Amino acid sequence: MPHVTDYLQFVLAPQMLNGLALGVSVILVALGLTIIFGLLDVINMSHGEYYAIGAFGALALALAGVNYWLLIVLVPVLMVPLGVLVERFLIRRVYHGADRHVSTLLLTFGLALIFEDLLKIIFGPNTHRPENPIRGATEVLGVLIPTYRLFLIAIGAAVIVAVALVVYRTRLGAMVRAAAYDSNMAASLGVRIGWVYSGAFAFGVALAGLAGVLLAPVYSVFPTMGRDFILMAFTVVIVGGMGSIWGVVIAGIALTQVQAIASLIISPVWADPIVFGVMVLVLMFRPQGLFGRLGHA
Amino acid sequence: MRDRLEISMQANHGLFAALVTAGLIFGAVASATGDVFYLRLATEALILGGLALSVDILLGFTGLLSLGQALYFGIGAYVSALVLRAAPDFWLAIGAATGAALVAGIVGGLIANRVRGVYFALITFGMAQIVARVVYNTRELGASDGLIGVPVLEIPLGPVSFSADDPLGFFLLTFVIIGLLYGAVAYLLSTPFGRVIVALKANESRVPYLGYSAWAARMAAYVVAALVAGIAGALYPMLRGFVSPELMFFASSGNALIMVVVGGVGTLVGALYGAVVLTVLKSVIGSLTEHHLIVVGGIFIAAILFMPKGLMGLVRPAMMRWLLARAEARAPRSGAVRRTTQ
Amino acid sequence: MSHHAIKAAGATVLAALFATTALAQDGPIRIGVVTPISGTYAGIAQQVTWGLELAAKEVNAAGGIAGRQIELIYEDSEANPAVAVQKAEKLFAVENVDFLTGTVNSGATLAVGQVAERAGKLIATTVSFADSITGDKCSPNVFRVNARAGQQSAALAAWLKQQKPGSKVYYLGPDYEMGRSTVAAFRSNAEAVGAESVGEVFAPLDSKDYSQYFGALRAARPDVLYTSVAGNDTVRLFTQMDEFGVSQNLTILGASGTVTSQNIGAIGDAAEGFITGVGYSTLIDSPENREFVEKFRAANGADPDLYGADSYGLIYAYKAAVEKAGSTDSEAVRMALEGLEWQTPQGVKTIRAGDHQAVQPMYVVQVRGGQFTIADRIAGEDAIGADACERF
Repeated sequence: MPHVTDYLQFVLAPQMLNGLALGVSVILVALGLTIIFGLLDVINMSHGEYYAIGAFGALALALAGVNYWLLIVLVPVLMVPLGVLVERFLIRRVYHGADRHVSTLLLTFGLALIFEDLLKIIFGPNTHRPENPIRGATEVLGVLIPTYRLFLIAIGAAVIVAVALVVYRTRLGAMVRAAAYDSNMAASLGVRIGWVYSGAFAFGVALAGLAGVLLAPVYSVFPTMGRDFILMAFTVVIVGGMGSIWGVVIAGIALTQVQAIASLIISPVWADPIVFGVMVLVLMFRPQGLFGRLGHA
Repeated sequence: MRDRLEISMQANHGLFAALVTAGLIFGAVASATGDVFYLRLATEALILGGLALSVDILLGFTGLLSLGQALYFGIGAYVSALVLRAAPDFWLAIGAATGAALVAGIVGGLIANRVRGVYFALITFGMAQIVARVVYNTRELGASDGLIGVPVLEIPLGPVSFSADDPLGFFLLTFVIIGLLYGAVAYLLSTPFGRVIVALKANESRVPYLGYSAWAARMAAYVVAALVAGIAGALYPMLRGFVSPELMFFASSGNALIMVVVGGVGTLVGALYGAVVLTVLKSVIGSLTEHHLIVVGGIFIAAILFMPKGLMGLVRPAMMRWLLARAEARAPRSGAVRRTTQ
Repeated sequence: MSHHAIKAAGATVLAALFATTALAQDGPIRIGVVTPISGTYAGIAQQVTWGLELAAKEVNAAGGIAGRQIELIYEDSEANPAVAVQKAEKLFAVENVDFLTGTVNSGATLAVGQVAERAGKLIATTVSFADSITGDKCSPNVFRVNARAGQQSAALAAWLKQQKPGSKVYYLGPDYEMGRSTVAAFRSNAEAVGAESVGEVFAPLDSKDYSQYFGALRAARPDVLYTSVAGNDTVRLFTQMDEFGVSQNLTILGASGTVTSQNIGAIGDAAEGFITGVGYSTLIDSPENREFVEKFRAANGADPDLYGADSYGLIYAYKAAVEKAGSTDSEAVRMALEGLEWQTPQGVKTIRAGDHQAVQPMYVVQVRGGQFTIADRIAGEDAIGADACERF
């Protein structure tokens, strides 16, 4: 059966590996989204724009001569003050209203409009692409895979593990989870809720910025890029269970694999409706997602 | 007995009367000066106001945020366009669009009303995305190009008949239809059943104890909202002569949301004011600067932060105080004005 | 105040608001530009704007059109037909423009064309490729001065026949009308010259990752890939094909909007060897073009691409037509535009009366060293294809 093995090796295997690289990209964007939701209960509609700001930040700093490897650390750090400012001066103002889900969602939606326009004013409408720091391809199972994508899978895995360790294994993470579970109780135990909230929002924003740096060489950089991953990221967060870190990882990989394999069989124009269909079905029958929420499970 | 909800509705009706007056004066003056564009722009604003009204029924009264209300607007618009291309008949198009919106609203309601809160927002968003994508990929529906060639309609209204091309005539007709939709929704909310819908927002878990089904109330509100959006949508191709998938996209739903927030959530009439303000604003600043997104986004954020009841919040409290005082003066002995609801 | 007085006062106020309208015959000629200044196509809108501005400046400096200056009035279509239609109505009714251009996506061109038809005005697109605009959905009020999908494909197929006879071709297009129209046009042209089609795929617009289509692409083992993605999508497709080594031993052909001066920088080396059939290249060796490129660079600090060049040429077509007609009246200008021959940077263009499509020489252009070098030239008549318009 040379045909079948050929197909498995040269079509299906690379397809799944590509899907994995895409899955890691989606997870990187979705991680911040799920942390912000899990802790602050905020549907951050401007999350895609933080991803774009991170990518443009990397582009600008790279042009100024900053080394790429330094950017991976520098850009997320620079995103932190932005996150703190947005949380302190905008989100917190509506946070204690009756419909905080609605008002924070609307607020971040308005922010997304403004950020996108600002990026266009500063950088112009055209596409840019930072130089790929790792060129060339590596042979995996007899098929060439770009080395940068393999690096992306590796660093993505490292980031995911690091985030999980911070959230589940450190004192800081314990404070965060306590605040997510019951903010009044946590406050009475001496947790400074205000700082936890600012910190968690900024952490999510920094993760989006990191995703921007890492993905810029692969997906290029332009003002409306924030819209790209956000739908997929939302879907992953919902399917995985809003606020669940492992849920995001598993849903991210599963959904991108479904997409990758489905695109071999059906016309890819139906990939989007299928992914949204999965989202709607999960919302209908298991709205809490496959895994529980942060602090609750 | 007069209560807070009734007083609140009276204030809305006062503001609606003001809108009608302003609309009539505008119509008279515009047609006297031979204007075409602003009349048609105002007509579009009212049509979009219908979509905003539909968002406000859910957001303002049941507390459910729909991020995909443009779905029903789009269904109304596409059905109306398809009917008009085949048989240019006003009532047939409105009837078919209403029927389609009813069916779609029931199906969508059965899906969406399984969940609440943010999940409701996301499920409505997902449904709208799916349908918009399907339309976008379906060649029979014009795919990404949409459908042009919706004929200029001759609208028979009893003894008179006029063309949809007549800017004043179609403006007035749209005004009447949107006014009827507003009136019908306001009436519905004042009936005992409507009060159950309002009670959902205040405290859903108590509703069953009063002997009502929360699910049925939410479902009813959802279907009514779908109908309102669908009927408004049916008017769109009559005005513009075409439909395109963008009418169903998130940008469309998002715009309606901005209109409601700027106008004032939970006031119904605020949705119409918001639609007029935003449509005119976009037309004007769009010509002045290419960065209109910043302006619109800024106004939107400012409304959320500083005007929790939108533009209506600026005038309505004073009106309500006056109406309350009047009601108390008229019924001094019963002391029956309940200030507790809401 | 009496009822009449109120009405009169109101009328004065509104008249002041509405009245930029009444224009003397010797006032400027107003041309409306409805173009997607914001959104996905903003880069194309920028070229359109640059081309129109440059031509208008030149014409105005040389005394205008029949002694009248040109005034360009811009509106943002947000790449949304519903917005484009509203803005077009504003330009026609309030700004009282004599002519309108700038639409990019075919949905907007078709919808705005209908508005123009109902308002008794004329529009021209300088960008939309979809054959339907001057084909089965043609309108007596719509002109197209750029090359449509069919013309581009005819040029490319002529090259394919000569250089790669009997190739196996795979097609990858974006799933909107412009994309489908270009793939369909090239497919029929390629098959007509003996190429074998081995598969096609349509990817959603704004796809992030094309690597998921590489499996099917590899499995079909084509020698030639034809694509009609554009803008950001090309940057991603080409760099990802390069990363994955898919472009090795594969000749990549494409639509004329696939690689342009806006995205060639971002694509970098991955654009090397790309071939397209196009109505314009900066390297067209004629005195008119050299002068145009020089002026365009001086004014905008960037190279013109086909959109910039076609938009520049449109102003001269309109000038010639108005001067021939002796007025800006739509009926008279339409008659003058039908069959018009005029000089553009890419040579002489003619507007075919039967479908309002410009006939022009087509070029087969290959990217070498980051430059669009000309590989072949096909005479306008050989590329134009049949007149499929039945409405006029």
